Amino acid sequence: MVVFPPTTPDELVSLIVAIITSREFIRIICFPGFIHLTLVVIFLTWYERKLLARIQLRIGPLYAGGPGGILQPLADGVKLIFKEVMIPYKADKPLFIWIPLFLVFFAAVPFAVIPFGQNWVIANLDVGLVFVFAMTALFPSLILIFAWASNSKYPFLGGLRSLFQQVAYEIPMWISALSVAMLAGSLNLVDIVDAQSKIWFIVPAFLSFIVFFISIMAELERLPFDLPEAEPELVAGWFTESSGAIFMVIFMALYMKLYLMSALTTVLFLGGWWGPAFIPQPVWFIVKTLVVASFIIIPRGVYPRVRVDLLLRAGWTRLLIIALANVFLTAFLLTSGVLKPWGL
Amino acid sequence: MDAISVPPDAIFISLAAVTLIAAILALQARELIYGAIALGISFIGIAGFFAFLDAPYLAMLQIAIYVGAVVVLILFTIMLVRREALDELQERPEGGEGAVGLWLAGLLAVAIAGVAALAAPQLPAEPPPANLPVANLGPVLATEYPVPLLILALLMSAALLGALILAKVER
Repeated sequence: MVVFPPTTPDELVSLIVAIITSREFIRIICFPGFIHLTLVVIFLTWYERKLLARIQLRIGPLYAGGPGGILQPLADGVKLIFKEVMIPYKADKPLFIWIPLFLVFFAAVPFAVIPFGQNWVIANLDVGLVFVFAMTALFPSLILIFAWASNSKYPFLGGLRSLFQQVAYEIPMWISALSVAMLAGSLNLVDIVDAQSKIWFIVPAFLSFIVFFISIMAELERLPFDLPEAEPELVAGWFTESSGAIFMVIFMALYMKLYLMSALTTVLFLGGWWGPAFIPQPVWFIVKTLVVASFIIIPRGVYPRVRVDLLLRAGWTRLLIIALANVFLTAFLLTSGVLKPWGL
Repeated sequence: MDAISVPPDAIFISLAAVTLIAAILALQARELIYGAIALGISFIGIAGFFAFLDAPYLAMLQIAIYVGAVVVLILFTIMLVRREALDELQERPEGGEGAVGLWLAGLLAVAIAGVAALAAPQLPAEPPPANLPVANLGPVLATEYPVPLLILALLMSAALLGALILAKVER
């Protein structure tokens, strides 16, 4: 018998046991949740270095344990933890320490609604898509506050650039996801994947896939859109002043966001967990997500950086128009009945 | 296992406390940045109220638009506007323009009030259920509440025009 609030020690114990043994708690800790996310983030940092090294005909991490230096991220982590955390003179200390933690928090929370399989979702929320966007919409302001708290000019310039860029590209991203929601007739991410059992949405909504992909590249501050951390001009952009453990936490948040956006692309356009049934659904999902992540990483070794005015003009005047036009196109496709054979 | 139930009063009181304290801090903060952060927390508290009232869609949009966009705008303003420019803004517009603006605003208010008074009897007597699915939100707004929707649209266009006029720079 579980009572809240507990009054006797017995009730407290039974409450704690009930919480720990509940399915949600196990999921939050183990599979779609904490441990899985940490492992994937560690893997992604190694994977990115290795992939970029291969593109540039280098070898990349090699010596730290196992094949291909797979333990390199652990060595990095240990190094960063034991390094001195330097907080700039006259920086805003509480904000400087707490904002990175909130960045990780808001990058991790959306995974609660991402379906890794038909039953592998922590919270089957009816407004899952809006929830993910609401959480990612908090990033630019947190980044700007962190940049301001560093009390230094390079972080501040990087923070302002990041804000311009993320606010400009958020809107095409939402609108291109809108046409997917129209196709599925739902904002629930599980329903959206269910609707793709016959045809992946990348086919009927190819244009919005392109817009969405470009927008998440800009949201993630990846090359060719990495102006907020342009090394030649801004040292390291908005996290120039961070060091040691704080830098590690920010790094974790950035890679978690990379994984989140790749997972969202998989859910919206690449049919989520669908695939031949002999491989379990979560494996399909993670494989597709890592493929998307590779396509986000690869341009970093290939393309040069774009100019800031071109970036903003492309966001506001091109992508937004294409995304809006695509909403009407999708409405036309839906009402004309072209998509009937696929049950849409 | 059934969900652990928390008494609703406790949720309401804690949400109200967070919202109100954050709102007071937003006004009291000496550093404008802290004010903006407190305002964001206050908005998140209001989103909590919407979620508490079985309106998760509204709650999410509250976070996305108010915390994600309005707070960002406030941060922009704080960081990009110089102190002197803020002081210049204190000057009032010339008498004639101000009077015309007041007249127009009054006219708009009277028109909206008149339309609302005319439309009031046509509103359905029963409010729609609280946990209305998101997909039904549009049809209900467009079929059962067309007049409030139109008034909202009018208000939005007025705000848009105002923003255009404010943003216009004399060259």
